[in-house]
Amino acid sequence: MPSTRNDRIDEGLSKLIEYILPELEDEDEDEDLKANALELAQGMIDSHVAPAYADDPAHIANIIKNKLIRDNRTSDKALRFHNLYSRLLTLPLIKRKGAILHLLHELSEEPERNTISRASERPSATAVDSRAPSRAGTESTRRPSKATTVNNEDDFDASVPPKPFLAPERGDGKAGEPTKAALLAGINAPLDPSEVTLLKDMPFTLQGVSSKNLPFSPENTLKLPSNLPVPLISLLHTLAEPALLYRSLSAFVEESDAIEDKGGLVGQSLSAAIGNELKAYLSLVAGLEGEIRRATSSLAEDDPHGLAVRKAGVTLRRCMIWTREATMGLRLMAAIVGESKGKRGGQLISIIHGFSTSHGDPFVFNFAKRLLTSVTRPFYDLLRRWVYDGELTDPYLEFFVIEQSEEAIMEASAERRGHASSVWQDKYKLDTEMIPTIMTPEFANKVFLIGKSLNFIRYGCEDSEWVEQYSKTTSKALSHDDYASLEQNIDEAYKTTMERLMHLMNKKFNLFEHLCALKKFLLLGQGDFVALLMESLSSNLDRPANTLYRHNLTAQLEHAIRGSNAQYESQEVLRRLDARMLELSHGEIGWDVFTLEYKIDPPVDVVVTPYGSREYLKVFNFLWRIKRVEFALGSAWKKYMTGARGVLASVADKVGNDWKVARCCIAEMIHFVAQLQYYILFQVIEPSWEKLTSTMNKPGVTLDDLIDAHKLYLNSITRKGLLGGGGATSKSKPETSFLAQLHEILKNMLAYKDAMDGLYSCSVAEFTRRQATSALIDARTAAGKWGVSESDSPYEFAQQVKKHSLRNSTRKVDISDSDSDSDSDDGDLPGIRQRLKTLTIEFQARTAVLLGDLATQPDMDMRFLGVMFSFNDFYVVKKGKGKTVVERRSAQKGDETPA
Amino acid sequence: MPREIITIQAGQCGNSIGSQFWQQLCLEHGISQDGNLEDFATEGGDRKDVFFYQSDDTRYIPRAILLDLEPRVIHGIQTGPYKNIYNPENFHVPKDGGGAGNIWALGFNAGENVYEEVMEMLDREADGSDSLEAFMLLHSIAGGTGSGLGSFLLEKLNDRFPKKLIQTYSVFPDMANGGEVVVQPYNSLLALRRLTQNADSVVVLDNGALTRIAADRLHVQEPSLTQTNQLVSTVMCASTTTLRYPGYMHNDLVGIIASLIPTPRCHFLMTSYTPFTSDSVNQGKTVRKTTVLDVMRRLLQPKNRMVTAMPTKQSCYISILNIIQGEADPTDVHKSLLRIRERKLATFIPWGPASIQVALTKKSPYIPMSNRVSGLMLANHTSVATLFERILKQYNILRKRGAFLEQYKKVPPFTDSLDEFDESKAVVQDLIAEYKAAEQKDYLSPEETGEGHA
Repeated sequence: MPSTRNDRIDEGLSKLIEYILPELEDEDEDEDLKANALELAQGMIDSHVAPAYADDPAHIANIIKNKLIRDNRTSDKALRFHNLYSRLLTLPLIKRKGAILHLLHELSEEPERNTISRASERPSATAVDSRAPSRAGTESTRRPSKATTVNNEDDFDASVPPKPFLAPERGDGKAGEPTKAALLAGINAPLDPSEVTLLKDMPFTLQGVSSKNLPFSPENTLKLPSNLPVPLISLLHTLAEPALLYRSLSAFVEESDAIEDKGGLVGQSLSAAIGNELKAYLSLVAGLEGEIRRATSSLAEDDPHGLAVRKAGVTLRRCMIWTREATMGLRLMAAIVGESKGKRGGQLISIIHGFSTSHGDPFVFNFAKRLLTSVTRPFYDLLRRWVYDGELTDPYLEFFVIEQSEEAIMEASAERRGHASSVWQDKYKLDTEMIPTIMTPEFANKVFLIGKSLNFIRYGCEDSEWVEQYSKTTSKALSHDDYASLEQNIDEAYKTTMERLMHLMNKKFNLFEHLCALKKFLLLGQGDFVALLMESLSSNLDRPANTLYRHNLTAQLEHAIRGSNAQYESQEVLRRLDARMLELSHGEIGWDVFTLEYKIDPPVDVVVTPYGSREYLKVFNFLWRIKRVEFALGSAWKKYMTGARGVLASVADKVGNDWKVARCCIAEMIHFVAQLQYYILFQVIEPSWEKLTSTMNKPGVTLDDLIDAHKLYLNSITRKGLLGGGGATSKSKPETSFLAQLHEILKNMLAYKDAMDGLYSCSVAEFTRRQATSALIDARTAAGKWGVSESDSPYEFAQQVKKHSLRNSTRKVDISDSDSDSDSDDGDLPGIRQRLKTLTIEFQARTAVLLGDLATQPDMDMRFLGVMFSFNDFYVVKKGKGKTVVERRSAQKGDETPA
Repeated sequence: MPREIITIQAGQCGNSIGSQFWQQLCLEHGISQDGNLEDFATEGGDRKDVFFYQSDDTRYIPRAILLDLEPRVIHGIQTGPYKNIYNPENFHVPKDGGGAGNIWALGFNAGENVYEEVMEMLDREADGSDSLEAFMLLHSIAGGTGSGLGSFLLEKLNDRFPKKLIQTYSVFPDMANGGEVVVQPYNSLLALRRLTQNADSVVVLDNGALTRIAADRLHVQEPSLTQTNQLVSTVMCASTTTLRYPGYMHNDLVGIIASLIPTPRCHFLMTSYTPFTSDSVNQGKTVRKTTVLDVMRRLLQPKNRMVTAMPTKQSCYISILNIIQGEADPTDVHKSLLRIRERKLATFIPWGPASIQVALTKKSPYIPMSNRVSGLMLANHTSVATLFERILKQYNILRKRGAFLEQYKKVPPFTDSLDEFDESKAVVQDLIAEYKAAEQKDYLSPEETGEGHA
């Protein structure tokens, strides 16, 4: 059935064509032409898809009625239509009433439609009308880039107002500016060259080849014969446009073929795509040529007006119309080429993408989209390699990820002042310039992270197996066609990669364990270990730094590990712990140069960067110093305390009050150190740690998050831990930063402790002397002599006392603490007292300054430290006159406030 | 190795408290009744070797010496559930086992007889530790053995180990209700002299207060001995947590008490603990969820103090250390501290900086706790002197009457004279005066220094 129907249609069509087309002499040509026409007609019929409602006559009738009412003020026509319609309905002969009505309706609307594509069968008037807007559209896209366009196609650009086109000829033609009459005559006068000649030349011109009449005299100018009428000139102008465009574009393609490495892959694919478009254009021209040849071959040369040609339907005007669409394509490509000068990769894509999104003309939109698909192919290949293999194979630097050279890495690290280089941070860089607009910056960042992570997993974590496995199983061809699924793929890849990376970090490289270990050892969290280390090292560290030996230190470290709960740490952790000396400068003692170190290997050093490690060391140094003072004060306290049970109690009459005052000062220091440590632990380290761990345990955390979190962790410790900056009030004097102040205070405490040890030896000496005296007296009494005889000179007596005491040191009073030469007598005491007094005053002054600075701190926690130091309002902070004064309550006079 | 602590338990009270303490420690560290580690006790982080040492077969053995002059309590320990954890060589009960009959002098004198043997034990234990830090004496001061023998030991320890810290947990008699021993003022006064002169830190536990707290907190009118002992052992365990679970601070005894005791004589510490629940004490009340602020505020309330002191207007804290166990958030502690300061819930000495120090420690993972946070306060408060004043007052009453002195006169050092009483009284008076002086602003003022320079 359908075949017979098609046959019938074919038959009808061929009849129609025979009727319409003029009979040609040449049998073959005639046949060809008719066959072509038939094909065209069939194509039109096939391409026409009847709307779904075509079967419903009532619906169509309604539409028509509405249209008639809309178009005409009165309803006469509608009424008439209604009558006709009802008559139609009654006709039994016509079956497809709906389709017929639809056809009629379509026909009635036809003139309003934009039918440029099939313009060849329509009266040219319609085509001209529809041309205007579309041309304007193309023009507007070209305009912004005029500056670049001008360079290679001056003349073409000038074609918008046709005048400049004529410029070269004007000199000749000026003399005989044709009058209207002449022009009118010219219409009928035979033209030289005739339109037919021009028509014959046209295919060459369109291909950018010079012909006799239309030579391309300079490379990119088409010279028109000077003696043509204006309408023809204008036609030729229009036709010259694609020709010139073609020339420049093919020049571009050739050029970029010649300098293959420069354009990059995307550039190459762009030129390839353009090449393809040009080929399509050429085939169009070829078709055109065929038409022209067919039309002209039959004509006699002497047909001056080419009337036969017109009859054959091939004219310059028609050529113009046929090439119109192609011209627009060429124009667009020319614009793209012009803009893409010097651009590469992602930027290139961005340009084309710009046409495909921000352009209202559907033609431009579709064209750019087609171009984009082929142009982005190499880009997506790059993307695929990057996202699934973590490899950057970008010989022409077109991707938005840039691999840094070694030097650049070094430079980058140098720029960040001491932030040591890190593979993760510096190996690849995201170049925002190069991100094509087809993806959002967030998306690009994700892509960047995926590839970076994969690369890092492969090289940093030496887990290329997984990467290969991963790329094998998940690798998908990415293309521009389906952006949604692309996004989904990338998201998936992102998730998988990040998970894997975190998994590796946590499980294989025990990142968390290392952070814990750093906290335990370098931040002194493992108290028993620290205490033991301190104790076993203290005698070593009291000596000058240059007498320290590393093996001693490591042996003590080993001892401390074995003796404390640190022994339960994994070997992996303990192996990294090391004790060493910092570079020593002259005259330092062991305490100044000793440091613990925790070695961090790659890839964990991405998080705990070498810079971070140095920060840890700094913090350690500070905490160790505080710990040392605490230890010194504690052991001193113990010595004096246990001493008070024995030795000191018996000499209380002499030095009792000195001790009381000194003890209270020591108590103040102990209080100070305890508060400082409490603050550092619970206000600084613990909360920061809390934040860090919560970030680490967040689902979907990335390595970058981790790095940031860890950086923040260290920063807040150094800043709040009083290591950072300086007191707000003391910007001018860097030596009064908190760190410096604290160091001074701690030093002061140690000095005080030393002075107090002096007091202790003094007391012990006094005690020994008294005991020996009484022992000697006892001995003499026992021997039946006077305890003290007048013959004893004071000196001799003392000597005898000494001898005696050495002989029978019955009481196990420890006198080894005191100087072995323990006959330091009262002579020392005033000196010691004086020293204690000065040190006390100094200590009090320094704490006052520190408290003053703390009270004006913007940071809540640091102010809190100040409050804790003075919990019972012992230190009174007075603000005023821009400076803060801290007074001790006991020093205040006449301010009787019962506590 | 760690800062070991050797525990000496003297007398009935000391041994009862001690056995409770060791039980509690075993539970907290996951040590079974035969001294081996329980299978579940795998979580590290604790230090058992402060209070225990390991025998060759890796059993954990308490560093404890158990002394008494009568066998009842020690016998109870030797037959109790935890009998196997102790070193059998560290028990000492004289063969005659007559006890000290609540007479300080008898206990003190008995010391001479046991001296050699006890010193041998002490030396052995001391040799068995790497860096012995302290001795811890558990006793009561009202009776004969704990008080008398304890005093003797304090003197001897002082001579023998002059550089080791000596800490005691001393149970003071209930002064308000007369107590069960008529001569307790004598015994207490005599023991108090040794505590003042020969100990570095005395944790004062007042029987009266213990009974009161048991009644208040546990709603038991007449709490059993076990229950009060559990109160004490809870306090002891809590106060040693920082030693047993090392952290950033307070990892040794010095670290704890150095900041508490600025001057040597004022070394009597009060304690508060909250909340007591059935986790630590039989029939303890279940307490609703506690917050850090709740705990810290309650610790400051006099009714929770384990000492019945009569604070005056001048009374003040010399120092405070709060040991908070459980899931305490440092920011909560911080807020609580500021709140306490704002509301002036604690009064401090006027002559030096002082504050509430806080140690946050872990809890034993092996003992389920129904409350989130619990806290112990160790405080040096001047009102503890009022307790001594009461002892002195009751002593004066007895002494004036010359009552019950015969028993004392039978044995040295009272055979010749009663000077020992007078000397002890002078020491205690000095102590009270010292505490009084510490309440004054001019505690350190130079007016007093006159004689020092002479």
